[in-house]
Amino acid sequence: MKKLFLITLILASSAFAQVAKPIEMPYVDYPMVKGDHDEIAQQYCLICHSWGYVLNQGKKSRPYWTGTVQKMVNEFKAPIAKEDQQTIINYLVKHYGYEVTSGH
Amino acid sequence: MSNINRRNFLGAGLILGASTLIGKETPQKIITSTSDFTPPVIAFPEKKPLKVISDRPPLLESPRDIFTQAITPNDQFFVRWHMPDIPTYIDLNEFRLEVKGSVEKPLLLSIDDLKSKFEPVEITSVLQCGGNSRRYFAGTGPATHGVQWGHGAMGCAVWRGVRLKDILHMAGVKGSARWVGVNGLEKPAMEETPKFFREMEIDEALSGELMVAYAMNGEDLPYLNGFPLRLVIPGHFSDSWVKMLSEITVMDEYRKSFFMDVAYTVPDNDCECVVSGSDFEYKRKPIAVMKVKSVIGYPTPNTVIKKGSRVKVTGVAFDQGKGIKEVMISTDGGKSWSATELQKDYGKYAYRPWIYQWEPKVKGEYTIMVRAINRIGNIQPQVNEIGWNAGGYQYNAVDSVNVKIV
Repeated sequence: MKKLFLITLILASSAFAQVAKPIEMPYVDYPMVKGDHDEIAQQYCLICHSWGYVLNQGKKSRPYWTGTVQKMVNEFKAPIAKEDQQTIINYLVKHYGYEVTSGH
Repeated sequence: MSNINRRNFLGAGLILGASTLIGKETPQKIITSTSDFTPPVIAFPEKKPLKVISDRPPLLESPRDIFTQAITPNDQFFVRWHMPDIPTYIDLNEFRLEVKGSVEKPLLLSIDDLKSKFEPVEITSVLQCGGNSRRYFAGTGPATHGVQWGHGAMGCAVWRGVRLKDILHMAGVKGSARWVGVNGLEKPAMEETPKFFREMEIDEALSGELMVAYAMNGEDLPYLNGFPLRLVIPGHFSDSWVKMLSEITVMDEYRKSFFMDVAYTVPDNDCECVVSGSDFEYKRKPIAVMKVKSVIGYPTPNTVIKKGSRVKVTGVAFDQGKGIKEVMISTDGGKSWSATELQKDYGKYAYRPWIYQWEPKVKGEYTIMVRAINRIGNIQPQVNEIGWNAGGYQYNAVDSVNVKIV
């Protein structure tokens, strides 16, 4: 009887709050173009955000992607070495952008 | 706050990336252009399936037909976080809202304290991301920086909580105080990354309209909308509506920060705009009050309607709290305009729903447009009139939807 009472208590308390247990966040595997050192882009960009951030931007110019990578380094303090920054910019421009001579 | 039981999003992402997990979605096609990028539609915790622009931090966009409702249901309310590390569990026995800094008596308030020691207040208010509708800037000039939201980064809810003013009065603001900083429990992946810390002038914090909300539409805040507390600033864009609000810091001096001085800013001039395509090289000011706006909830784009049908065109309009005076509609691409019928008034900060009865008699392609004007004469600009800014903030041009009558 005592045991039954305990079980009832446990059941009641678990149903009590909507946050009785941690939420489970879905994981989305946004696809990335392979090659041209996509692993470097993966290694650094995905520390802070999903690849959805990049896909959502659409095709962007070299100055745009350069500025964006610089913002990640200068403002958000992404620990990306200089040569890796250039690798990431080249990868983004080749697969998610275009070359221009000036402007955006 | 250190003993809050939480799972690190970053860790979860890395570990779960290689494993199978309920809700995992793998879009098959490699996508390289935003015109090809259709975000997967997935149900997140306490949410119906929404467009997942990003899973980490979560960026979830509401569908357009949400604007057929004056109050946005919690399970379809949009989600926008800034940092990848968000607690996935909060124990209310442990959780405290800390009030500190230039106050006579620092406070540590539990949710029970907030519910029992303060007068509860309620307000119906629109919550809109500063970058909402940003993708439509691309129809007026170059696409801007930032997350390319459609209209679905806004909603309207009934918020219940306590006045920020009452909390500050309990703590006793010192005479030297000039600023109030607010932040929540979200954390960057790296210690060096700037925290999501927002500041407002002390007069604004004490104005009486700002609220620390613990309920949304009669329920606890959904986890992804900021459980257990979020700041509510009626009439203002949501950049300072801090989620999982955990600290209120009263300060004598303004604290420089990325999220105040760089993000969520517009050009500091009268039109808050620059020549299309300019970069960020302009003097900036923070975005603040929302601009008059209306959007169409039904029909949605590319709806096919039978000739002679009686179509109930519906949508919502709002502004910064002056009140909507009129919403005009055009079904011929802007050549002629008619009045819509404004529906129930839920309060000056809420959506004002509108309806227009339309009976298309001729087959063909139609462009439906809406344009709101508020009580102080602010009117939505036409698409070709809206001022451009590099951050893509405050888009409020005339909304339009193409439909086909067959």
